[in-house]
Amino acid sequence: MSYERHGGGFSGGGRRRRRDDYDNYEHRREAQESPDQKLKAAIIKFGEVDAEQELPQLAAKLHSQELSSVPAIAEGFRLAVTEQPYKIPSYAALLYDLSIPANNMNHAVGGEDDEPAGFTKPSLGRLILDDFWKGFQAYLDKLAWRETRLCIHFFAHLTVTNLISPQSMLGLLQSFTAVLDEFGVSNGRAKRAARCAVEGLMRACALFLACYSAGRVLKEHSASAVIEMIASVQAYNDSVVAAKWLVHPLANLQFPKIPVDHADEILDCAVAALKTLDLSDFVDVSSIFPQPYASMSTSTIVPFDLPSVLVPPEVIELEVLSTESSGDAPIKKEEWPEYMLSLFDNDVTPDPKSPAGYAVRSDIIDIVEIFEVNRKECARILVEYPKWSVKGTFKPRPGDPTDSPDRIPLLGRDWQLESTLIETILGAQFLLPESPAKPIYYTALITELCKLSPPTVGPAVGKSIRKLYAYCADGLDPEVLRRFAEWFSVHMSNFGFQWVWKEWVPDLALPAQHPKRIFAHRALELEVRLSYYDRVLKTLPQQFQEPSAGAMPDQAPGPTYEYEDPSSPHYDAAQGVLNQLRSRTKPEDVLVYLDTLKNTLSETADVSDDPDTVVRSVTIQSLLHIGARSFSHFLNAVERYLIVLRALSGSPEAKIHVLELVSSFWQRSRQMVGIVFDKLMQYQIVEPADVVAWVFAHNAGGLNWDLLRGAIDKANGRVVVARRRVATLRKEDDDAHARAKANANGGADAAAMEVDAETMHDPQVTQSEDSPQLVSALKAYAAVTREQKSTLARVLEGFIHALRSSSDTARRVITADAWDGHASWTDEEWVAWRTWMWYKHFCRVYSPYLRSFVTTLTVVSFSSLETATDDAAVLLKRIWRMSTGQE
Amino acid sequence: MAAVVTPLDQPSNYKDSQARVDRQKQHDLLQKSTTLYIGNLSFYTTEEQIHDVFSKCANPEDGGGVKRIIMGLDRHTRTPCGFCFVEFYTHAEALASMRYVSGTKLDERIIRCDLDLGYREGRQFGRGKSGGQVRDEHRQDYDPGRGGWGAQAQKLEIERRRQVEERYADVEVGGPVAAGGEEWKQIHAVPVESPLKRGRSPDVEDDSSRQRARVDEDTGRM
Repeated sequence: MSYERHGGGFSGGGRRRRRDDYDNYEHRREAQESPDQKLKAAIIKFGEVDAEQELPQLAAKLHSQELSSVPAIAEGFRLAVTEQPYKIPSYAALLYDLSIPANNMNHAVGGEDDEPAGFTKPSLGRLILDDFWKGFQAYLDKLAWRETRLCIHFFAHLTVTNLISPQSMLGLLQSFTAVLDEFGVSNGRAKRAARCAVEGLMRACALFLACYSAGRVLKEHSASAVIEMIASVQAYNDSVVAAKWLVHPLANLQFPKIPVDHADEILDCAVAALKTLDLSDFVDVSSIFPQPYASMSTSTIVPFDLPSVLVPPEVIELEVLSTESSGDAPIKKEEWPEYMLSLFDNDVTPDPKSPAGYAVRSDIIDIVEIFEVNRKECARILVEYPKWSVKGTFKPRPGDPTDSPDRIPLLGRDWQLESTLIETILGAQFLLPESPAKPIYYTALITELCKLSPPTVGPAVGKSIRKLYAYCADGLDPEVLRRFAEWFSVHMSNFGFQWVWKEWVPDLALPAQHPKRIFAHRALELEVRLSYYDRVLKTLPQQFQEPSAGAMPDQAPGPTYEYEDPSSPHYDAAQGVLNQLRSRTKPEDVLVYLDTLKNTLSETADVSDDPDTVVRSVTIQSLLHIGARSFSHFLNAVERYLIVLRALSGSPEAKIHVLELVSSFWQRSRQMVGIVFDKLMQYQIVEPADVVAWVFAHNAGGLNWDLLRGAIDKANGRVVVARRRVATLRKEDDDAHARAKANANGGADAAAMEVDAETMHDPQVTQSEDSPQLVSALKAYAAVTREQKSTLARVLEGFIHALRSSSDTARRVITADAWDGHASWTDEEWVAWRTWMWYKHFCRVYSPYLRSFVTTLTVVSFSSLETATDDAAVLLKRIWRMSTGQE
Repeated sequence: MAAVVTPLDQPSNYKDSQARVDRQKQHDLLQKSTTLYIGNLSFYTTEEQIHDVFSKCANPEDGGGVKRIIMGLDRHTRTPCGFCFVEFYTHAEALASMRYVSGTKLDERIIRCDLDLGYREGRQFGRGKSGGQVRDEHRQDYDPGRGGWGAQAQKLEIERRRQVEERYADVEVGGPVAAGGEEWKQIHAVPVESPLKRGRSPDVEDDSSRQRARVDEDTGRM
């Protein structure tokens, strides 16, 4: 993998100026910082250099605070724990230190001096823990799952130090496994609750069992409780079958077959890791999680009993009763199992099914999620991650003082940091059906990592690309392939388009629709969009440059104006219209001109030419022609001639014809087709359902998922906008009514003396009346909701037709036998297979929308399949039912 | 998550120096801004390239998308002069661009994004004396993506080139070439080419290599 060395280049003149401003800002901020803020900042920064050395100093500083500072200190701990999970063990050590009675002799915090005899002042640590717990309770109440889980990490470490009583910790974890037994628990809720329990167990379990071997009564109870919890998570995990199959990045069309290799699901990993720990009686724990407190003086501290908690139900789950048709249910996502692609061998990067591997993986994922707000800092923290993990987990960097030849690495570890980071980040980026953050975030994060350390990150990126490319041939989900090509192109755009295309030359012999060819074609197309044709062309070996290779077109993307050539039919008509548009004739006058033109055509033209069609073709193409110079030119042209466009696209057939004309005008630029379709929908020249119809009418060479997705998103997005507008107007209305009512009441008091009450305006009447704006907004909302439903129905129909009725190949490719022979598939088979996979993706990614119309859509789209028992019908129905939660 | 690091989507010290609204109002506008100012573009970058990058931050399923792009133009020549405004439908998309796109490359230049108060007529034109952006007025480096030298330096450069071009305009093809006087002594004969070469093209190579160095340096400029 080649990369560019940016070196000092990143700090140009502009940056220096900004740095100065930044410093000023820091100064200002410091000047304004309250003592509490300083205290929090000190806690958050703890350990940046050397936690062990900093601890006594920070502890002394905290001890010197007044009692009133305890909430601020606890808040500092909460922020630190929930935003810097890699430092949690250090914070456990700090809190432990603050709790040791001997250290609490002279602190300012605590009770009065004249306390009654026998009363022990609570230690500062205990006071902090009390307050910290309140914060935890708040996280739990609002179901802030990650914060909740990270607090549990902290509690688990505190349990090992004996600051928290094991039985209360066990009780806490049990309330999370209890979630798994809730009736109809959602995937997302169960997954998160299970992670809370499992990750807590992993850290604290050694203690539970150690106590058991000590033979105390309570502990016997613990051991069986732990076994029960493991069993409960496993039972839940085993019950998730359909969802796993739907989102596995390499699972094919044979339900419930899932490839064993290449990807790991997070709960599968959690269960496997926990069982491994269990088998070894949790002796490994200290080699997985740092325990800086282990060496600290032990003393008798009365452990804190965590109060018992109940995981509150999801707010949305309560509201879900407000059903279909209303469409009001907010869209709920993240309901799926999480399969992370595995790109490296287990001796290079961690096996997430091993306890240590799971711990590293989940730490990295948390960091990537938490620092999404600042990818540069995120990259820095990731590169520094080994500092916070147990020594020997990662290979030292070349030249590092610890990189001595007689170094003995930890058995089964000694992983390569950069490969681990890239594998994990890409794993998140390629999660199905959607990545947690926008894919571009992960792309930008990897770019930052490459800039931080080109010689080590570059090769890891290169190897990942090769592995993913290899997976393309093994049934990599087309959606993952799409994101892969997008990442690849943006990454290359940031690093000089330097890729060794030569090694993929032999694959040019594969059928054009083979996934590897699709990837290369797509990646190059996207590179050209980000750069320009000639620039990309010169990065390619000769074989890839040949237009006959089908990787690059024979010329740069551009428009194709049918009436360019004076000898083309209707050239004169087109010139006439073009001149009208160029001279910015008023749209009304253009309409008149077009009417005249139509009349002339119907008199003179060939009978085979429908005058309406010709006028539409000539006008739309001419409009696109004047708008072809840039995106803005296009927008200007459309806006100026909106009424002309509307007049030309009255009927559904006319709308399809408009789309036809656009796609033919921009046949050499798929990007422009997408942009124009999008804006035509935005200006309501065509409807999303028209685009859907167009896409399915042109799927012979492969379904155009980008256009399909654009149409569906537009239909869904409109509903969101309309709903938002209704909400705003309703609030305005309510406020206005409230004001009117207040005024009326106030006025009534004053006026009562003079005026008869009956002549007064009755506020009750106004209240029930919606403002005209609200009434029309509600109408619009109902209309776009209907449109949304019909768009989704159209998509389903399109898929059902394409996969069952129209193609034998589509019926054939779904069997296991067919897949076994995929190495010799032709274009036709790959196209059919990919259409199936897009259907699967459509169902899973739009599942929240589909669920809200499930009854109608089942009736409308699936009634024809109700009794059908052929393989294709069965698979169509099965995917539908599984995605909408009916199976 | 702002407790540990500063988010990248905060408004920076970028401001429209001609905006006529007070600080508080500016602050409020930025809090819901859907418009970005994009700087350090190449003069050759097209709206379609810009659209492609920024549409990766769009939320169409949330009613979002790239609403429009306004290309910054040289006041006099009406050619792109290295900046633009990108307007989205939603604020969240503008923030996403700040977090994920600002500081990455477009057309092999590191572009910078800033939340903007919103486009107003007239703002698409450069405010530099020569028609382009002010930053290109006094720039001392050579930047092929932004029209070469800064506008002032360019003036000097054009003047220098004119002098160079005029200097030898009177040379006749096949005309006499000065011999350099009598040879001093046979033994000390100096090769004739050497001084001639020097005279003809003063440090051509040095100059171009210097330019290249500047280009490299500038790719990293924000």
